[in-house]
Amino acid sequence: MPLIIADNIHKDYQVGDVVVQALQGVGFEIEPASFVSFVGPSGSGKTTLLNLIGCLDKPTAGTLTVAATDIARLDRKESAAFRGSHLGFIFQDFNLLPVLTVYENIEYPLLMVQNVPPAERKERIERLLAAVGMADQKDKYPGQISGGQKQRVAIARALVTHPELVLADEPTANLDSQTAYAVINLMKRMRDELATTFIFSTHDQKIVGEAEVIFRLEDGSIVAKEMKGGASHDESL
Amino acid sequence: MYYAYILKELRHHRHRTLVNILGIAVGIALFVSINAVSTAYQQAVSLPFKNLGADLVVQRAEKRAVDSSQAGPSMRGIRLPFSNQLLSSDDLDKLRIIPGIDAMAGSLLLWDFDQGGFRTIMGIDMSQPSLGPVHVKEWLAKGRFPEKKGEVVLEKHYAKFHNTQLGDQFTIGSRSFRVVGLLEIREGAQIASANIYLPLADAQDLMGNESKSVNLVYLRLQNPSRLNQTKTQIMQAMPGISVVSSDAILEVMGGVSRISDQFSLVVSLVALAGAVFLIIKTMLGNLVERSREIGILKAVGWTGGDVQKQLMGEVFIQSMMGGIVGVAAGYLISYLLGYLSIPVTTPWEVNLLPAFAKETGAAAQTIRLPVSFSAGLTAAALALSLLAGGLASYFMGRRMAKMKPADILRRL
Repeated sequence: MPLIIADNIHKDYQVGDVVVQALQGVGFEIEPASFVSFVGPSGSGKTTLLNLIGCLDKPTAGTLTVAATDIARLDRKESAAFRGSHLGFIFQDFNLLPVLTVYENIEYPLLMVQNVPPAERKERIERLLAAVGMADQKDKYPGQISGGQKQRVAIARALVTHPELVLADEPTANLDSQTAYAVINLMKRMRDELATTFIFSTHDQKIVGEAEVIFRLEDGSIVAKEMKGGASHDESL
Repeated sequence: MYYAYILKELRHHRHRTLVNILGIAVGIALFVSINAVSTAYQQAVSLPFKNLGADLVVQRAEKRAVDSSQAGPSMRGIRLPFSNQLLSSDDLDKLRIIPGIDAMAGSLLLWDFDQGGFRTIMGIDMSQPSLGPVHVKEWLAKGRFPEKKGEVVLEKHYAKFHNTQLGDQFTIGSRSFRVVGLLEIREGAQIASANIYLPLADAQDLMGNESKSVNLVYLRLQNPSRLNQTKTQIMQAMPGISVVSSDAILEVMGGVSRISDQFSLVVSLVALAGAVFLIIKTMLGNLVERSREIGILKAVGWTGGDVQKQLMGEVFIQSMMGGIVGVAAGYLISYLLGYLSIPVTTPWEVNLLPAFAKETGAAAQTIRLPVSFSAGLTAAALALSLLAGGLASYFMGRRMAKMKPADILRRL
C-alpha cells in the first residue's frame, strides 16, 4: 500500500482580495522507503505540497492520505501528534535551536513529543550521531559548526523519532555543491538503513539526479513524473 | 516542560532576560518601597500614642477658653497647664460607664514656674502598670521608678543640666524629693514627655489638690477599630470634653500623611502596571523574534500547549527573579529612606509644653521612619510579580495561538 496517496489536491491562498491557486488538482502516490524529489521553479507549489504532506497546512480540496491517515481531517492537536510520531523535517536554513548543543538539538523532539525513556533516548541519539558522522561534535553549539554539519544534525533530528517519512524543503539550497551532494547521499544512505521515505524539494537540476522518483511541478500542477534507479554513494562533507 | 532548554534560553539571551527581570524588579521595588515607607509613616505618626499604650487621651479645656472674662494666667509657682483644667469626679464616673473601654489611667500634669526657669511635672497613676505615662519606666537609664511618696525620676538631660545625680535630694515647690531614677525619653514619646515624674499622690499634694483629681485620662479600648464610635459617645456624654487619638496627629501632619495614606497603593500599582506593560511589550517583541523557533518546535510535533508551557516557564522564572530582586531592592530603598527623620507635630491638646516653650524642639520631635519587614507585603509583591508574568504569558499565548507553523516557515 502506498505511504502517501494524494487525490485532486487544491490549495488556495487569499492574498488581499486575490485568491492565489498554489496547487491545482495535484494527484500522486508514493511508496514506502522511496527517495523522492519535487522539482520546479520558485512558486511552482513545492513548499505548499510539502507543507500539506507534513500536516503543517490543510488542502482547500481533495484528499491526502499519509501513513493510512486522512490528514486533512486532523485537528491541530492531532496534527501535532501525527507530525511527532510519523514525520521528520529538514529545512533549508537547518533551523537548529542555537541555545542547545548538537546532542540536545537531536534530543528535544524525543522529550516533548514521544517521551522516550532516558536510556533509549541516549542510545538512539548516539547511534544517529555516529551514523551522520557527528559523534565527536555532540557538545558543540550550532554556531560552532559548518553548514554541512548543521544539515547532518538536522537529518539526525528528523530521524530520531523513527518517522516513516522525512520531508526536506530545499535541504541543499544553502550548501556548496560538494556538501549538497554529500547531504543528499547521507539522506539516501539513511533511507537504505532505516527504510524511511525521504521527500525533498529542490530546483537544483544536479541534485535532482540523485532522486529515484521525480515529480516536476509547474504553476501548481504536476507536469511530469520520472523514475530513476539512482545508486547511493557517500562523500565526506 | 523542557527545563534545560528554559535555562539555556534565558542564559543565552542574557540581555533580554536582564531587561525583563529588571522591568519587573523596578515595578516591584517601587511597590514595596512606597508601601513600606507609607506604612512606616503611619506607624511613626501613631508612635506617640503607641508609646503610652493608649488609644485615646481625654481632658477638659481650660475655663478661659470658654469664658473670656476670666483673669489672665498666672506664671508663678506650680499650676495646671494653660490648656486644661481638672477633670471632676463626675467626669471620671461618666467615663467609667462608657462601653468598650478596656482600661483607664489618670495623670496630673503640672507646670512649675520658678526662679530657675520652667519645668513640667507628671504625676503618674501607678495602679495601671501598662497604660499612660507609666510607660516611661521602660526607658529608665539609671535607678528605678518611684515606689512610694517622696521619690522622683528625672529626665536625663534635665538632670544633667541641673547637675543632679541619682540619690540627690531635689526640691519642687517647698518639698524635697529623693531622685531614685533617670530616664531617657524615646523618640515619638512627646505626649508623655516631662522633666520630672513622681507618684500621682505627690503631684496632687503639690497642687494642693484635695479632691485627688487628674487633668489627663488615658483610655485603652477593647476594640481599637471602634475608636471613632467611642470618641463620639464620650463627647456626647461629656459636652466640652476634648478627646484626642492618633488621628489628630495625622490631621496636624496634613497633606503628606493623607497622600501617603490614600495614594500609596494607587501610585505603587500604577508603577507596577507600567512594569507589567513593559514586560508584556518586551515579551511580545521576543515572540516575533522567536517565531522561527516556535515554527520549528511545532513542526517537529510540539503542540501549541507544549510551546506555551515552555514560554510560560521562562516568564515564570523571570517574574520570580524580578519579584525577588524587586522585593530586596524595595526593602533596601525603604531602609535607606528609614534613615530620614520626619518631624511629628503633636496636636495642641496633648502638647505638654506651654506656647512659649513649643519652639524649643521638645514639642516638634523628629522620628526615624520605623521601616520593618512585612511578610504580607512581601507575599503581595511576589504574587504581583507572578501576576505580571501571568498576564504576559496570557498575551503571549493569545498571540502564539494565531501563529501557524506553515505560515511561519513559509516566511523564513
